Amino acid sequence: MSLPSPSSHPRPWEEKSSFIAGILAYLVPGAGHLFQGRTAKGLIYLFSILGLFFWGQKMGEGMVVYNLPEKGSVLKYVSLSYAAQLGAGASALPAFLQNRRAANPSNHVIRIPSHPMVEQFEGHLVPADKDTEGVLVGTLRVEPVEGGEFRGTFEGTLDGKPAKLNLGGSRFELDPAIKAGFRREIICGIADSVAAFPTKVIEGTIPRPFKDAYASPPDADQLQEINGRLGKTYELAMVFTWIAGLLNVLAIWDCVLGPAYGFGDEHLKAKSNEGSNSPQAAKSSPTPSAPVSTSSSAPSTISTPPTQNEGSPPKSSV
Amino acid sequence: MIATMLLAQTNVTWHMLPLALAISLVYSASRYELPEYILVRALRLFLQIVGFMGGAFLVLWVLTYGL
Repeated sequence: MSLPSPSSHPRPWEEKSSFIAGILAYLVPGAGHLFQGRTAKGLIYLFSILGLFFWGQKMGEGMVVYNLPEKGSVLKYVSLSYAAQLGAGASALPAFLQNRRAANPSNHVIRIPSHPMVEQFEGHLVPADKDTEGVLVGTLRVEPVEGGEFRGTFEGTLDGKPAKLNLGGSRFELDPAIKAGFRREIICGIADSVAAFPTKVIEGTIPRPFKDAYASPPDADQLQEINGRLGKTYELAMVFTWIAGLLNVLAIWDCVLGPAYGFGDEHLKAKSNEGSNSPQAAKSSPTPSAPVSTSSSAPSTISTPPTQNEGSPPKSSV
Repeated sequence: MIATMLLAQTNVTWHMLPLALAISLVYSASRYELPEYILVRALRLFLQIVGFMGGAFLVLWVLTYGL
């Protein structure tokens, strides 16, 4: 392994605006380092932190990052869970806005469609006794009509066979637009079979746009359902996003102030100083203004960097 | 990586491995500047974490043996 002399290392975190770098590092983990030209570290932070964050999101089916402040909590505007996730930057910030959007009075269960809708539907045909009668996959078209009712059609398959249903009446329920989960629950009554099957409905989901689902708060039923279904996996998903947010604090610190222990090869400098007949030389810092620690008892090989400073404050910093 | 993800589908505990790896990398990167040292330190920390978890698993396994 060939390394430059310890004293010849450039200090990129001092060459560009640390304020801009810090902001970038917060918004996108690793971006501040890339801005400073510290590519390797930037990529480590980028993939490690964002990888953890989005893997957690994937494991928790998109219902992991949200902001639901609890009354009486220490933090007034954020939940403790979200406070940890907030460190991940721009990926977590939308939860602030989504919380406000979801709390808007206009975001409620829709009983009558306000405008014509065409959506891809997945669900079931449900008879009066609530037992599922068949799996429906296809296109749902609904529109409002006078009298506070709706009409529409379903075209697709019922248990794999082609099916077309005429929908209508007053039985219509559509989940709020802004809510956690990338599927939106919907219930529609069946129109032209009212006489034969008076209470038949189709019940299922339609896609919820990313801008309405991402980082939106789930309701109590959703939380209960996903906790019951995913169990430990959901909890681990939360932990992934918390750790990602907290790890980015380290990355921001490193971006603004430089590495905590130095470049890592200070023992080489100390060794060379020892060889130059100066007993005190090994105690001097090779990087004058960084929070760098050195030791005269450093290891003698490159493959085993010094460990004595791990977990303890630097012995000398200038 | 693919093998790890396949394992993760069978037991949630396997998610701890990439988690420990990411923590090791980020922590070491925040301590040192040179990539060579970051990787060496990250590998060592990763092994320490996995070793500790393995030890804890062993203790629990012994304590619950036969239950």
